[in-house]
Amino acid sequence: MDLVLQLLFTGIGIGAVYALVALGFVLIFRATNVVNFAQGEFSMVAAYLMVVFSVDLGWPYWLSFLIALAGMALFGVIFNLGVYYPLRNRTYLPVIIATIGASILLSNSVLAIYGPQPQVLQGWFDTPGIQLGPVYLDSQYLLIIAVTILLVLFNFWFFEKTLLGKKLQATSQDKEMASLLGISVSTMIMITFIYSAVLGGLAGILVAPVLFVSIQMGSTIALKAFAATIIGGFGDVAGAIVGGLALGVIETFGAAYVSVPYKDGFAFLVLIAFLVFRPQGIFGERVAEKA
Amino acid sequence: MKLTRREFSAGLAAGLAAPALMRSAWAQGATIKIGMCVPVTGPAAEQGLWAQNGAKLALAAVNKAGGVLGKQVELVIEDDQTTNPGIVLAFSKLAAQSDIVAFLGSIRSTQVQAMAPDVIKVGKPVMIGGTNPDLTHSGNPWLFRFRPNDNYSGRVIADFGVNTLGKKKWAIVHSTDAFGTAGGKALTEALTKLGAPPVLDQGYANQSQDFTPVVLAVKQSGADVLGTYFTFENDLGIFARQLRQLGVNIPWVGSPSVVAVSSTKLAGPALFGTYGVADFAEDSSDAAKAFGKAYRDAYKTAPDNQSAWPYDAITILSAAINKAGSTDPNKIRDAILATQKFAGAEGEYNFDKNGDGLHGYNVVKNDKGKIVYDKHIDFND
Repeated sequence: MDLVLQLLFTGIGIGAVYALVALGFVLIFRATNVVNFAQGEFSMVAAYLMVVFSVDLGWPYWLSFLIALAGMALFGVIFNLGVYYPLRNRTYLPVIIATIGASILLSNSVLAIYGPQPQVLQGWFDTPGIQLGPVYLDSQYLLIIAVTILLVLFNFWFFEKTLLGKKLQATSQDKEMASLLGISVSTMIMITFIYSAVLGGLAGILVAPVLFVSIQMGSTIALKAFAATIIGGFGDVAGAIVGGLALGVIETFGAAYVSVPYKDGFAFLVLIAFLVFRPQGIFGERVAEKA
Repeated sequence: MKLTRREFSAGLAAGLAAPALMRSAWAQGATIKIGMCVPVTGPAAEQGLWAQNGAKLALAAVNKAGGVLGKQVELVIEDDQTTNPGIVLAFSKLAAQSDIVAFLGSIRSTQVQAMAPDVIKVGKPVMIGGTNPDLTHSGNPWLFRFRPNDNYSGRVIADFGVNTLGKKKWAIVHSTDAFGTAGGKALTEALTKLGAPPVLDQGYANQSQDFTPVVLAVKQSGADVLGTYFTFENDLGIFARQLRQLGVNIPWVGSPSVVAVSSTKLAGPALFGTYGVADFAEDSSDAAKAFGKAYRDAYKTAPDNQSAWPYDAITILSAAINKAGSTDPNKIRDAILATQKFAGAEGEYNFDKNGDGLHGYNVVKNDKGKIVYDKHIDFND
């Protein structure tokens, strides 16, 4: 039982990381109908910004955190103007290729500046974790889980209760109709990219103390997050969260009880099973309604 | 005077060719050339620079002492781009210069493997740092290794854990890539020979974000000592931290990554007290200390194995050519293989018939973040 609880905590913790990144995928997909393959690099860039501000320049953690997130907002603007906007009237394919190109450019630029050695970023708390009975709770994972819950609530409030959120929803459902109603579609897409970059950045900064800051950190998480998005139902916010958590728990238990080397295999087995038996994902019907 | 177009072209051609011709004429007899394939670009460019530093340091010492066969030695560097096609290209460029008498190859086993067929064709000695045992055991007479091969790391880890620490219940954790699998296998074999077969042999895939299942498996196995082969420092860092968090504090003897500078930095206190094997340890011998001092004086930074093996390679190669009294490849080969009891920065070189110069490792300990030399274990077979 102790073993199960420990594995469950770790599974949910790592699943929450996938969920945070998956959320960024979903938001951009809903707004632009394009999968952003540079989403993982958003996390990586934010983590390196944190290293620059908090480690290299020695600024206070909270200040570095705020500046890094502000930097990510700016990054979202640049990414939108540089990668999406020039291709907005083309089909989805050139845009996807452009995001892949951006991902390669970003990781190699950081490699050129920082070199291949992973960097260390301290966590938010001085205590590494707490022992609760037989289970060890890593403080950074606790924080990640808490932030994920808060973000779920925030997203619900933002998209369902605020005018801006409703405008964003309208844009993602039908751009032509939205613009007929006086909503500036390009502004909404700009806001989506900003929000998505900040979310991805938040995920990167939160996970950096656990996984270290490296060039590959974004792409390895993003691959799982992408799988989580498909499992949850592409384009669904709740789906991304549930998919991420499920994936984290499944792969952790699979590794513990079946085979450690094939840990990544379990994640993708689940993905394949979903693609075969339920391609629309767990929350797929709502997507169908939207279309 | 009026210059015709033809005269102008001829003059231009002569003008362009003259320096090259003069240089090659001057070079022909003036220096002994050694070619070096090294990453100047690519992911290992930084390590490539350290390798060049080590080689140049030895070169300066050799030249100061009168050079080789009465001539100054010159290093011809070619970029291998840290890739297999890159090193094949770099080596063929160097091999085309017939006045190069010997070469330095790579510290990466896969790259040595990539260039190995061309090495046989060229038929000149190549010094290498790659540690895959097969490189010098597959009938290629021209490869000479200046680091201990991976067979020895498993044996040293097992010997140190069983005979020095007195531990017999082993858990082995290794990466499932080529390096980790071979290392895990070598360690298992060495332990079985010592009468302590491992109670757990646990593989993991590189770039895992979480090691909780691995740590719990180690915990449940009841092992009293841990042996590891980690390929990537960030994996090692995550594992080390989770290991300590989940309360596993058994002694730990690992492959070189456990005591690598970057792992020490990443994992912090989680690696305190661990042992690792290292082919270069500055305090292991007088020769290593002397190299360390010379390197620090020249480059203002601490040396490591990336710079130690090219240093030894240039030193021993130069001595071998002097002893051979000629640049004939076969005579150089015989002279290198005859090198015995040579105190180098990496250890005492006793070349065997396969071309392996070293037969053991240093064991070093992470003493509160500082890597200190513990003991040297050598094998005679």
